[in-house]
Amino acid sequence: MDNNIALSVKNLTKYFYEPETFQVLKDISFDVQKGEFLSLVGKSGSGKSTMLYVLSSMDTDYEGSLEINNVMLTGKTQNELAAFRNANIGFVFQFHYLLPEFSSLDNVMLPALKLGQKSKEEIEHDALENLSLLGLKEQALKSANKLSGGQQQRVAIARALINNPSIIMGDEPTGNLDSKNTKIVFDIFKQLAREKGQTIITVTHDDDFAANSDRIIELQDGELLK
Amino acid sequence: MIKSTNNKIAFAHLTSRLRQTLVATLSVTFGISMYIFMNGFMNGVNNITSDLSFSTLAHIRIYNDIPEDRSNLLKETVKPNQVINIRGAKTIKYTEGIKNSAQIIDLLKKQQDITGATQQVNINVFFRNGATKVNGLLSGIDVENENKLFKTSTYMTDGKWNDLNFRTDGTIIGIGLATKMSLKINDNLVVTTADGVTKSFKIIGIFKTTVAGVDNTKAYIRINTARQLLSENQSYVTDIQVDIKDYNQARTVANRIAPFVPYKVEPWQVSNGQLEATSQLRDILAIAVSLTILIVAGFGIYNIMNMTVNEKIREIAILKAMGYASKDIVEIFLTQSIAIGIVGGIVGILLGFLISFGVNHVPFRIATLQTLPMTYYIKDYSLAFIFGLITTFVAGYLPARKASNIDPVTIIRG
Repeated sequence: MDNNIALSVKNLTKYFYEPETFQVLKDISFDVQKGEFLSLVGKSGSGKSTMLYVLSSMDTDYEGSLEINNVMLTGKTQNELAAFRNANIGFVFQFHYLLPEFSSLDNVMLPALKLGQKSKEEIEHDALENLSLLGLKEQALKSANKLSGGQQQRVAIARALINNPSIIMGDEPTGNLDSKNTKIVFDIFKQLAREKGQTIITVTHDDDFAANSDRIIELQDGELLK
Repeated sequence: MIKSTNNKIAFAHLTSRLRQTLVATLSVTFGISMYIFMNGFMNGVNNITSDLSFSTLAHIRIYNDIPEDRSNLLKETVKPNQVINIRGAKTIKYTEGIKNSAQIIDLLKKQQDITGATQQVNINVFFRNGATKVNGLLSGIDVENENKLFKTSTYMTDGKWNDLNFRTDGTIIGIGLATKMSLKINDNLVVTTADGVTKSFKIIGIFKTTVAGVDNTKAYIRINTARQLLSENQSYVTDIQVDIKDYNQARTVANRIAPFVPYKVEPWQVSNGQLEATSQLRDILAIAVSLTILIVAGFGIYNIMNMTVNEKIREIAILKAMGYASKDIVEIFLTQSIAIGIVGGIVGILLGFLISFGVNHVPFRIATLQTLPMTYYIKDYSLAFIFGLITTFVAGYLPARKASNIDPVTIIRG
């Protein structure tokens, strides 16, 4: 119906069962528009990261429903979700999570190789472009565990962007970056949202970062604060 | 395209943790080489024990059994309610030995799985030297065929086996018998048969087998001399000893020729039940030992693969987060475990051969043995390799499948 909706959650509820049953997310519903730059904020333990993982389809243990790009993801199998993520979602973790044995370039290429829509040469070209966008052209052939923390985080962002996903999610993507690099990342996200219409959803503790985004959603004790 | 990416990840995993890869490979190598060595050794021991047993025992023996129980000759004709009374029943006459041996030998020669047959005239006698009297067995034999079946020439300690061909009054006696009767080569030995016939023989050789009972009581003479001693004709024999290709088939072969031979055809399993029992027990032991090795090695390999997967579980989660499917994860880890299996298997085969070869050259001079026995069967080597592959496959598959089926976030969140 409404083609401008990138992501929609309805009545999202989630429990943790260990060490004791605890309701993390309480009946959350909201929509995200295409091309929107959304920040999720809240205190530690408010459930924002947990919610982001549910939104990213990596956590399937929840009640309620999740729709991305008008595709109902609730109830799909692991493999279907993996294929969906591959094509539609780019995710940046709090920690970089690169494969340490591979070069930066190889790490960035991995999701595209899995998608398999382009030739290896094209993928390599795109990956190099992404890396230079993040100021990492010189580091492309270094193995990932030889880079500094900030560099690794930027490689991880380059990796998230490689398949031109319609939604990019970040769990404190700039948490390990200095202010200069944070600004670079922020500008890139902003640019992606403006020019390519990619939707950005990030969890952040950085007030400036949040303040400059299009919309802020705040969570407190598993509930939305408007 | 994607296949090569998975292989690349698998290869990176293998090479980034060389030490762990090495340990995993070594556990496969160790399991396989131990399996090969233990099987080779057990088989070697089995074969040598059989060889030793069959150094004095033929696979099949054909002889004229003494008649069955004839104490009640009227058994079949008398009705149950009739009373009979037989006193002092005895057999008056029966045929001793085998009269038509040539015919039987001809028949045996036509059988494909019979490798050799020799005729014997065995006589229970008293050996005498002066006042010493020893009860023993005088064996009239066919010099060449006897040697072919029992390799008697290899047991000679003095004199030559073939000399028996040239001395009609020559005899070759066991070393125990010689000691007991204070006899040396070229001395005379007096023999008295049950029928009271006495004859003197010249000792032209002394033998020593692995069985003291034989060495203490046996003497060989030419078969024709033995026939003369019993006043029997040229085709008379008491025993025909037969060797076949596979001694385990003795029963089958015996059953097949029995209908054509009017005498008792006895496979070794019947005459030496204890040998069959020990032979089968050794086989069972060999199976038990190799199964144990397989299971222990299998668990070792499984353990290592499980550890590898657990260590990489975070990377599995990341790959899944990026969109890699369960089957990609399984493929990545299967590639690794199969690579470990193949390399470990090949090295294991080489190591197994080297260990076997080394042990096979350890001196062990008892009976006719020079070194420890060993076999090198292709079957053992290929089974070990296949087993190694299967175990590493299962050991890689199970943990990989488990890891590939969980939500990536449960791993990432920790």
